[in-house]
Amino acid sequence: MLIDFILLFLFAGVPYYVFFEKTKILGKEKIFLLSAFLVICGMIVSSMFPQERCTLVIVVAFLASWFSLYKAKQTTNLYKLSYYVLFFNAPMLIMFETKESILYGISLLVTLFGIYLMGKYYERSYGSANYRSVSGITLVTPYAGLFLTLYLTTLALYPPFPNSLLFFNAILSTDTNSLWYLSVAVIFFGNFLIAMRVMAKTVFGKPNDNVHYIDLAPKERWLHLAIFALLLVLSAAGLKELLS
Amino acid sequence: MEKLVLFIPFIPILIAFLIGMLNTKILMPKVSLYFSSGVALLALYGTYYVMSNDTEIHGFGGLLVFNELSAILVPYVAILGLVIRKYATKYMWDEPGYKRFFILLNFIFSAIYLLVMSNNLIILTIAWQLMSISLYLLISFNVESTSAIKNGGWTMLIHKLADLLFIIAVVLTYKTFGSFDLTELSQIWLEMSQKGSVDDPRIYAIGFLFLFAAMMKSAIIPFHLWLPYTSEAPTPVSALMHAGVVNVGGILLNKMAFLLLLTPAVLNVAFVMGLITAIFATLLMLAVSDVKRYLGYSTVGQMGYMIMEVGLGAFSLAIYHLMVHGIFKATFFLESGSLIKQARKDPNIPRRLTYELFWEEKPQYNSINMFRLIALFTVVPVIAFVGIKYLLSESGFEFNAAIIILAFAWLTGTQLFLSFFEVTKANSLKVLSILISSFVIILFTYEAVGHALERFLYGEHGKLFYEAATLHVSFAMTILMLISIMVIGWYFTYKQHYVNVPIGEHTPSKTKWRIYKLLAKEGYISDMYVKYFKIF
Repeated sequence: MLIDFILLFLFAGVPYYVFFEKTKILGKEKIFLLSAFLVICGMIVSSMFPQERCTLVIVVAFLASWFSLYKAKQTTNLYKLSYYVLFFNAPMLIMFETKESILYGISLLVTLFGIYLMGKYYERSYGSANYRSVSGITLVTPYAGLFLTLYLTTLALYPPFPNSLLFFNAILSTDTNSLWYLSVAVIFFGNFLIAMRVMAKTVFGKPNDNVHYIDLAPKERWLHLAIFALLLVLSAAGLKELLS
Repeated sequence: MEKLVLFIPFIPILIAFLIGMLNTKILMPKVSLYFSSGVALLALYGTYYVMSNDTEIHGFGGLLVFNELSAILVPYVAILGLVIRKYATKYMWDEPGYKRFFILLNFIFSAIYLLVMSNNLIILTIAWQLMSISLYLLISFNVESTSAIKNGGWTMLIHKLADLLFIIAVVLTYKTFGSFDLTELSQIWLEMSQKGSVDDPRIYAIGFLFLFAAMMKSAIIPFHLWLPYTSEAPTPVSALMHAGVVNVGGILLNKMAFLLLLTPAVLNVAFVMGLITAIFATLLMLAVSDVKRYLGYSTVGQMGYMIMEVGLGAFSLAIYHLMVHGIFKATFFLESGSLIKQARKDPNIPRRLTYELFWEEKPQYNSINMFRLIALFTVVPVIAFVGIKYLLSESGFEFNAAIIILAFAWLTGTQLFLSFFEVTKANSLKVLSILISSFVIILFTYEAVGHALERFLYGEHGKLFYEAATLHVSFAMTILMLISIMVIGWYFTYKQHYVNVPIGEHTPSKTKWRIYKLLAKEGYISDMYVKYFKIF
C-alpha cells in the first residue's frame, strides 16, 4: 500500500499540484525535467517492488488524471503541456504490469522531451513557449512542422510510433475489469484529444502575418532527428514485444 | 519468387522515403508512378499465382498472407492507386506541399495493403490505425483552411472511436480464443459454428465491437458525418476516400466472416443499420443542395447497401459491391476537374451519356423504337432467367440477398440516370425503359460475378453464411418486394423530377414541409455534433 502511494506521488504530479503550481519556486521549464525525474524514480521503485496495485490508488490517480486533462486542455504553453500529459498518463503507469509500464513510460518521456524541446525552440524563436498565434508552421517552417507532427502523432497513440504499440502491448498483458475499460478509454481518448487540439492550432492553420517565422536551426534538427531515431528504436522494441 | 508479393505493403513506404529525399519536383511523381506500376504488376502476378495454383502465399512468420481476398483487392487498390497518382501529378502541381502530398499518399496506400494482406490481428490493428492518421493528414492537406481542419478533426474523432472499439475487440478476441492468427482463428470459429449455436456473451460482444468499428470507418449512420463533410480535401484524396478508405469496413467484416457465423444477432443488426443508412442517406442525397455533399451521401447510401449485404450473409457480394462502387465513384471525382474546365467554356456542359441519350434531339433515327428494342432485349431475358431459375431450383435465386441486389439495382439505376437528368412527360417512358434495362444488366452481373466470387473466396463454406443470417427472404417475398420497390420508388422519383408541375398553384402540406426541413438539415445530426461535442 505504501509503495502504491509513493508511486501515486511520483507519477501523478502530486509535488506539482501541492507545491510548485502556486509557489512558483520553479519555472515551467524546470517542472517538466523534475516531473520526468520523479517518473523515472517511480519506474525504479515499481521495478523493485513488482506487485498488484491497490484499486483505491488507481481510482485516485484516475480522478487526478481528469484534472490534468482539464489543465492540459486549458494551456497553450508547450512546457506546461509536456508535464500535464505526463501526469495525465499516471493511471496507466500505475496499472500496467511492471515491464510494460516501464516501456510505456520511457516512450512517453521521450515523446514529451521532444515536445519540451519544441517549447525551447518556440521560446528562442518567438519569445515564449506559448504556441498561440504561431499557427500554420507546416507551410512556413517545414522542419519544425514535421517534428511537431511526429511528436503529436506519437502522443495521440498512432502507430507505427512506440506509444501506441507499447500501450497496446500493455493493455494486452493486463487483466481486464470495469476500471480497466474506463481507464483505457479515457487515457486513449485523452491523449488523442490533447494532441489533436495542439496539432490543429500549431501544425495547421493560416500562418500569422504578424509573426516572423524561423525554422529549426541545423543543430536542433539533428537533435530532433536523434529523438525521432530513438522513437523508431522504441517502435521496433514495441513491435517485438507485441508479436512475442 | 512468389514471396516477393508479400513486400507490396512496404514498397509505398520505400517510395515515400525516396520522395522525401528528392529535391527535384518533377521526379517525385515519376518515382511514385514507376514504383506503383511495379506494385500493380506484382499484385497481378500474385493474383495469377493464387488463382492458377489454388494456394495462398504466406510469409513474415504468418503475419502476412496473399490469399483469395488479397488476390482480388490488392490489384484493385494498386490500379486505383496508379490512376490516382497519375491524376495527382498535374492536379496537385501548383499546390504548396507537393512532396508532402505524395509522401502521405504512399503512406495511406501502404496502410491499405497492410490491412488487406494482414493475417494477424496485431498487424491488422496497426494498419487500421495507420490508415486513420494518414487519412487525417491528407484530409487536412490544405492546412490554411479552417473548415478543412475542423472537419478533419471530426473525422479523426469518429475514426479514433473506431480504433478504440477495434482494439478492445482484439484484446477480447485474444483473451477468449488465445490467438492473433487469423487463419487459426477462422478455423476455430468454423469448427465452433459446426458444433452448434454459441451462447457466450463475450463472443457476441466481440462481434458487435468489430461491426461497430467497421460501421464507423464505413460512414454508416449515425457515424457518417465525416464523409460528406470532408469533400474539401484535394480531389485525388476524395477519390481515394470514396473508392478505398470507406470500404475498409467491408474488408474487415470479410476477414471476420467466420466469427460472424457464430453471431447471427450481429448480422441482423448489420442488416438493419445498413437498411436505415441506405434509405436515409439516399433521401438526404436528394435533399442537400451542395454537390460534394450530395456525392458524399451517395457513398454513405452505398455503404449502407454493403453492410446490408453482409447482414444477409452475402460477404462476397459486399466485396464485389465495394469494388464496383469504388470504380464508379473514383471516376466521378476524377472526372470533375475536366468537366468544370469544359463547363467554363460551354454552357451545355456537362454533356454526358444520359444527356445525349434522352435530352438531345436526334431526328436521324426513331429513338422510341430503339428503346423498345432495349426493353425487349433486357426485360424478356430477365423474365426467362427468373422463370428458368424458378423451375430448376426451389430457392429461386441462389443468393439469399437477392432482394438487396434488386433494390441496389433499382437505386443505382435511378441515381445514375436521374442525377443529371430531369424527367418530362415526353421522355419518362424512355427513362423507365432505361431504368429497367440498367436493372437487368446489374442483376445479371451480380448473379454471375457474385457467385463466381463466392466460390473463389469461400468455396464450400460460402453457403454457411446464408444459414447464419437469420433474416431469410423467400423467393415470393423477393419478387413482391421488388415490385413494390420498383413501383413506389419509380412513383416518388417521377414526382420528384417531374418538371412540368406548375409550382405556384399548390402549397406543400405541413407534414411534407417538415419532412423536407428534416432532410434539408441532414437530420440535424451535424448540428447536434457541433452543439454537444465542442472538442476541437
